[in-house]
Amino acid sequence: MDEKEMKVIELQDVKKIYEVGAEKVYALNGVNMSVERGEFVAIMGPSGSGKSTLLNLIGCLDRPTEGKVYINGIDTSELSGRELTELRRDTIGFVFQQYNLIPTLTAFENVELPMIFKNVAKHEREKRAEELLNLVGLGKELQRKPRELSGGQQQRVAIARALANEPSILLCDEPTGNLDTKSGRQVMETISDLNRRGVTIVLVTHDPSTAAFAGRTVRITDGRLI
Amino acid sequence: MYFQLARRNLMRNKARSSLAIIGIVIGVMAISSIGVFGESLKATVMENFQNVANEVIVTPAYSSGYTSIDRSTVTKIEKMPFVDRAMPVKTELGSISVRGERGALTVYGMDESAVKDLFKAEKGSIRLKGDCVVGKHVAERFKLRAGSKIILGGEEFRVSAILKEEGARFDINPNNAVILSIKGFNKIFSRDYSIIIVKLKSIENVDSFKELVKKTINSREKKVSVFELRMVLERIEKTFKQITLFLMAIAGVSLLVAGVSILNIMLMSTLERTKEIGVMRAIGAYSETILKIFLLEALILGLFGSVIGSALSIAGGYAIDMLILGSAKYVFTPQAALYLLEGFLFGVITAVLSGLYPAWKASRLEPIEALRYE
Repeated sequence: MDEKEMKVIELQDVKKIYEVGAEKVYALNGVNMSVERGEFVAIMGPSGSGKSTLLNLIGCLDRPTEGKVYINGIDTSELSGRELTELRRDTIGFVFQQYNLIPTLTAFENVELPMIFKNVAKHEREKRAEELLNLVGLGKELQRKPRELSGGQQQRVAIARALANEPSILLCDEPTGNLDTKSGRQVMETISDLNRRGVTIVLVTHDPSTAAFAGRTVRITDGRLI
Repeated sequence: MYFQLARRNLMRNKARSSLAIIGIVIGVMAISSIGVFGESLKATVMENFQNVANEVIVTPAYSSGYTSIDRSTVTKIEKMPFVDRAMPVKTELGSISVRGERGALTVYGMDESAVKDLFKAEKGSIRLKGDCVVGKHVAERFKLRAGSKIILGGEEFRVSAILKEEGARFDINPNNAVILSIKGFNKIFSRDYSIIIVKLKSIENVDSFKELVKKTINSREKKVSVFELRMVLERIEKTFKQITLFLMAIAGVSLLVAGVSILNIMLMSTLERTKEIGVMRAIGAYSETILKIFLLEALILGLFGSVIGSALSIAGGYAIDMLILGSAKYVFTPQAALYLLEGFLFGVITAVLSGLYPAWKASRLEPIEALRYE
């Protein structure tokens, strides 16, 4: 029991199989992995190795073909679609390579959005959105639309948005992939800083200098951890 | 916030949203203007019949062998309560001779005051003492003027007036007839009354009057039948309602087209925003939330289009009424307002129904598939 509580993420013999025509493609072929509270884990591997599939399974965006995924000790295979949505909303923050901000909303509103989905009271979510944008160093860009911000700024808004509902896990998919070296390093420093504040981080990358920020690196090739 | 999101999504492609709104505007306008026009047309026609609504016609009960109404029955009816005035009429087919030219026509015998009450003179003035009045068609046929002489059944009468042409009536029609006084009629024919036109004090008295006739005059044997014009008016009203409904259904096709255009732009919008939908699902939006945002967009389009459409319908109804009826006094009636409301509601409902499928489709997207979409 105690051991389970320590483990924020646990994967047991996870397989993800796609059927392409008559052929079966193993995107993940029996992955066992666990991440403990407060850890910073980098998943590295060449493209097509299954690292994004792995992140999507941890993020409850997708279900495994076989095996179990536990988040905070909860067996996600037993959850309904609605419960998975709530788990993502309350427990997991996502940072994508392409930032994926909502273009019609301002930076401030983008950060508010997950809290709106959770029905957080207006004054509370406005206070928190402001705090979070200050935290990522964008206190002055609140009312700008994503297209008026640089790539690095957009990614920091995305990080602020991911933190809106105080998730225990932050999942990052190539967060520096579209950024220049300097902005990339700023983003990574922000993420490391969050880790020091206690947020568990799982990050997918193929860039060794990004992976260097992590406390532990896991390598994946052809759907297996090595 | 969802409203803001929906509104801004619509603002993203202003041309597309405007076109969808224009579609709804046209649809709502077509439905409401035609509704308003139909209502005005009905009101105009009904106005012509309004003064006959409290009229009933008493005829002999042909089914039980009666072909005329005797004087005592007329007196009984004249004395009944609810009766404002009773106008007994004698009818016979007669032969006319004018300057050697002969012909057959209907001859009515009635009181001068009744003639004045029911008809209007086009030329001359109505006087029946020793004189007669003729209908428009008779005057044309025999080239009669006020003052001309005619011979009816061997008696000579001076034409005191030519009556205006009458439209369709349910009781007596003077167009092809000569009207004499009862006295004049009795000189030529010996016949009892054929019809009594009874004006009641109010339209509400029709049923009581019928009941009274049944209990008194018809108590032993059915001597007379009572024919009420109210029923005819109800028929006319119903017919106009059906015509209006039919025209509105045709106009409804334009709203259908508007609905299809909303369906189309919203499906495109769903496709274009697939990735955004995926992001929202990933960060904690329920599928119902996505449904709500898309339906809200359809609702905004529908409300906008319907408000503008309804406003223009007032102008449209006004224009059609002026053009066809020559008067716009029936545009601002409660009934016309009802049609405006109907058009408005149809507009909003069409938009929301059209948004339903795209919204449902958007909400059903799997987060992972939607996120991968480029």
